[in-house]
Amino acid sequence: MPAATDKFSRLAALKPARSGPSRPAPLRAPDQEDSIAHLLGAGVMKNHFGEHLAIRNWFSTPEFSEPSAVALELLSRTRDVEMSRRTRAALEDPAKWLFLDTETTGLAGGTGTYPFLVGIASWDAGGLEVEQFFMRDFAEEHSLLHELAARLADRPVLVTFNGKSFDWPLLENRFAMTRSISTPRLAAHLDLLHPARALWKLRLGSVRLVELERRVLDAPRLGWHREDDIASALIPQYYFDYLRGGPRDPIVGIVRHNQMDLRGLAALFGKINTLIASQHTDRDGIDSLDLFGLSRFFERRGDSDRAHVACSQALELGLPAEFLPRARRELALLAKRRGDHARAAALWLELSSDPQDGVLACEQLAIHYERRAKDPARATEFARLGLAKLQRMRIHKHDPYAVARATRLVEKLLVRINRLEGKTKNKSANRGATSWSLSNS
Amino acid sequence: MSHSLAVRPRALGSLEPQAGSSLSAVREVLDAFRSRDVNGDVLTAVRYFPAREAQWAEFPAWIQADLAAAYDAKGIRQLYTHQAIAAEVVHTGKNVVVVTPTASGKTLCYNLPILNSILENPDTRALYLFPTKALAQDQLAELYDLNQRLDNRFGVFTYDGDTPADARRAIREKGHVVLTNPDMLHTGILPHHTRWTRLFENLRYIVIDELHTYRGVFGSHLCNVLRRFGRIANFYGSDPQFICCSATIANPGELAARLLEKEVEVLDANGAPAGEKTFVFYNPPVVNRALGIRRSYINETSRVAQEFLKRDLQTMVFANSRLQTEILLTYLQQANPQPPGRQETIRGYRGGYLPNERREIERGLREGRIRGVVTTSALELGIDVGSLDTVVMAGYPGSIAGTWQRAGRAGRRSGSSCAVMVASSSPLDQFMVRHPDYFFGNTPEHAFIQPDNLEILLNHLKCAAFELPIAPGERFGEVGVPDLCARLAEAGYLHLAGDHYHWTHEAYPADTISLRSVTSDNFIIIDVTGVPSVIGEVDFTSGLVFLHEKAIYIHGGQQYHVEHLDFKERKAYVKQVEVDYYTDAIRYTQVRVLEATGTSDASAASANSHSHGDVLVRSQVVGFKKIKFFTNENIGDGKLELPENEMHTTSYWITLERPLLESLPYSVSDRQSGMFGLLHALRSVATLLLMCDGRDLGTAIGERSPAPDSGRATDDFTPAGPGDASGSKLKEFFEPNLYLLDAYPGGIGFSEPLFRAHHLLIRKTRELIAACTCEDGCPSCVGPAGDLAPRAKKAALGILDRLCG
Repeated sequence: MPAATDKFSRLAALKPARSGPSRPAPLRAPDQEDSIAHLLGAGVMKNHFGEHLAIRNWFSTPEFSEPSAVALELLSRTRDVEMSRRTRAALEDPAKWLFLDTETTGLAGGTGTYPFLVGIASWDAGGLEVEQFFMRDFAEEHSLLHELAARLADRPVLVTFNGKSFDWPLLENRFAMTRSISTPRLAAHLDLLHPARALWKLRLGSVRLVELERRVLDAPRLGWHREDDIASALIPQYYFDYLRGGPRDPIVGIVRHNQMDLRGLAALFGKINTLIASQHTDRDGIDSLDLFGLSRFFERRGDSDRAHVACSQALELGLPAEFLPRARRELALLAKRRGDHARAAALWLELSSDPQDGVLACEQLAIHYERRAKDPARATEFARLGLAKLQRMRIHKHDPYAVARATRLVEKLLVRINRLEGKTKNKSANRGATSWSLSNS
Repeated sequence: MSHSLAVRPRALGSLEPQAGSSLSAVREVLDAFRSRDVNGDVLTAVRYFPAREAQWAEFPAWIQADLAAAYDAKGIRQLYTHQAIAAEVVHTGKNVVVVTPTASGKTLCYNLPILNSILENPDTRALYLFPTKALAQDQLAELYDLNQRLDNRFGVFTYDGDTPADARRAIREKGHVVLTNPDMLHTGILPHHTRWTRLFENLRYIVIDELHTYRGVFGSHLCNVLRRFGRIANFYGSDPQFICCSATIANPGELAARLLEKEVEVLDANGAPAGEKTFVFYNPPVVNRALGIRRSYINETSRVAQEFLKRDLQTMVFANSRLQTEILLTYLQQANPQPPGRQETIRGYRGGYLPNERREIERGLREGRIRGVVTTSALELGIDVGSLDTVVMAGYPGSIAGTWQRAGRAGRRSGSSCAVMVASSSPLDQFMVRHPDYFFGNTPEHAFIQPDNLEILLNHLKCAAFELPIAPGERFGEVGVPDLCARLAEAGYLHLAGDHYHWTHEAYPADTISLRSVTSDNFIIIDVTGVPSVIGEVDFTSGLVFLHEKAIYIHGGQQYHVEHLDFKERKAYVKQVEVDYYTDAIRYTQVRVLEATGTSDASAASANSHSHGDVLVRSQVVGFKKIKFFTNENIGDGKLELPENEMHTTSYWITLERPLLESLPYSVSDRQSGMFGLLHALRSVATLLLMCDGRDLGTAIGERSPAPDSGRATDDFTPAGPGDASGSKLKEFFEPNLYLLDAYPGGIGFSEPLFRAHHLLIRKTRELIAACTCEDGCPSCVGPAGDLAPRAKKAALGILDRLCG
């Protein structure tokens, strides 16, 4: 781990050279009677909008992990925009990063859903500095948002887990509703949900953060446990109860839950970073399914070269039988895209007897033999085989999409067969054209 | 987007096909009808409306030259007077409601001033509300065309459930004119107003088209949606101007003022030209006079339409249900066979057809390729299909305004057009067809809403709190907001922080509130014949009547047997069956007057009074009858134990005092039966006056409540109507109240207007029954004779005579 050895020196050396983020203002000690503040170990943060509670902690784990250039490139890649130089500079500077996770009064979104606890975290001294803002009541929202805007001005690169579609739009709503605090501008927003999905959905089924901690991040090594973690579905109700003078203890649980989510998020970044940055020579000990997931990630971000390498590695290492056809199919498509048609054909051949992908494989082989290998007879054979497979397949009649898909495929294959037979006929004029009927499909 | 959509009939004036010949063809058909109408009781009215010249006005001087040029390019060089007046009044900043008939160019009344203001200041935003998605699509085509001619200088988009997610952001930012519907405003825009900052900050105009459709429940909801809307607009510092359009009803100004809760100016001049038109009322011939049975109005409609189609008159046929549409379509296609491979010239058009197919039919109609179309109300409102030669309506559409809208589909600018209304045997149809003056005179139809219905208002108050915390001193209708908020807080929905009430619930309130019903309490119907699937839902009260166990429920022409009703989970499990009977629930209803808000002075001589006020309605379905199709034989019954349903609502009622009843020369059972018959007829006429549906009004008879201080409560069950009474013995009432109830919890604003219209209601009911040619009652007046005592009809008339006297 090269990042581990120089992390302190690097940060320490760089800190004074940069006009780094300003230190947040010290907190005021809570009043004697402010029992929720005492219970949470919180201080009072005051600004011209009012006040709210803030809880600050420093954790030694997860440790700082230096973002690799390739991870940054791929994680921040968006379809439409070219990245500006300023954005790139912010992105490449971990001191500009802010991990964020909120606890809200519901999942419905819209203007009536409030983030009542906003947790943010940043790298500091090789560990993680976590700051959480809690509103004791709705009236404290503006001061909370003001403080958050100040942090984001210092650290405009947002890192979240599902924050692109949930936390951040919700916060944008809240800022807009104040009519006085403008919505902070982000330099970049790295959301780890989709990468995590590409990487681990196949292996884990679910990519909830808790699941990832347990099965990907090696939870015990992280230095915390979730044994008495609260159920996140209950969070809104706990908060409503607290507002109405109900029990306050669950709030402590929510604050801890949020801390763990933030630390999990930071650790997850490290894990994804390591995986993406790993050289293919340096991937011992990585689960073959994770390698396959990695290839899916590369493929989705448009890096087919890396995707191809990872996928081949996964296949070499050996995948569970249920994932084999899928991996072969992706590898074949990747090979085709790279122009490695012989390799693709070999893979399609392996797949041609697969019940799921057989039809696709036959179609691809027909294309291959028609266009590349210039062997119309062979091509016809595969097109017919594909058609026969398709007609044997049981299509659910009540699924109009499946029926339409099958019909389209049948038509495509028929067109190909007719064309191919035209070609063959030119060569051997004796063979009559076969007519295929759609009626039994 | 098809450009041809935007070509208005006016531009086509000289190209209209068969313009000259239609006059003689229409006359020919009418003569044919007359020659067959030997008794003279089929064509009950033939009214001729001469052609009317257009009254022209110039474009106002303040209209931007570019905009005038764009209209010029469409062939519009002058305005009709009413368009010019509307534009001027809008220009002065007043809220207006424009009342015009179909095809009078009403959209120009709002498009012209609004587009002008957008061209002057590109920050200007406008929101258009249409009751349906299809209407918004149609307007989009029109605006899109104008925009093309203006080099795309403004953005116009529809925003509804079909709008793709990736297009929404652009619409929110770039839409100068956003076309949507109240439901989308309610669930999609208001709860996410922060995404619409740009629109709200610059909002200058709201257009509410087809204003008259917002009555009853829907209107009461819309009023509350507009209250919420007002809060949000205010939050963003805007105070938009309202421009409404309405079909002809008696009280457009009152309705608009009630909905907007603002002062509204009514503009009801009309300068649009019209070709000559004949309006015919057609009552199918009687086949059994004693039972009051007439020929099927569906068959007669098809016969009438065929007479027109035969003479190559382009014809639109309106039916009142999807099923009837399909039947009529089959008849007419069979009568007009096409050679194989040729497209049908008669087409159907209704909800459920795919958008592309609809567009194709609309185009075919405009181009004259399609000669006949059978439709439901789907084509009643402003979808642009050009104008046709003739319109035939199978059954009275339910309201005078709706009938005129449908009739307005026929009307070439030159040449002659004809509209025929073929009456069914329902009381309302029969009343209309026999009292043409009622229809052709000044419309009596009033649209009413009751936005302060607590059930509805509270639901919207929840949405309002979700959208923006409720500040102290805020107003929301005529109710005490702080008190309601405190109650919502108690129920766990709101929380008082500082001095504002905030939403404290996980759910998104708008999602569970439908603008088309009062409560969201529905029964879901699950077909378990094969793989269980949900086939529909039914509101709570109807659910008890139609979905009790062993009921035969008919959905989409298919019969289902209700296997099990899970009352708690609100689910009915049904299986497909084919049986030769249907079921009729026996429901007992008991009404208790809680408070009479108003009572007429009961003079000793008349021995009756009428009142309106709050009532408590308890009803229970206690059994059902199985009734054989066609013969209507009772072939069995069953008892049911369903929970009692209690509803607090408002009612109008007539009290008949002892002397009045004693003065009737009929037996007790005739008198009782007469009262049920009378109630049946009263309800029919009331739906006419209120522009509402029969289902919106419940009926009941009960003993007059004792004086409030006597401490005696009346707790007897009374059967709900004559149909339900047949199984049980009629109870004699000492001094009965005849109730017409608002069928929605909390009441939807029908009772007070009925109270005010009491004398009209009685007079018209008497006319209805007196004019009916049946002997002892029929479905057209007091209800089918078989359900009533022999002299019930006479008794009903006797009561009415005394009420009038």
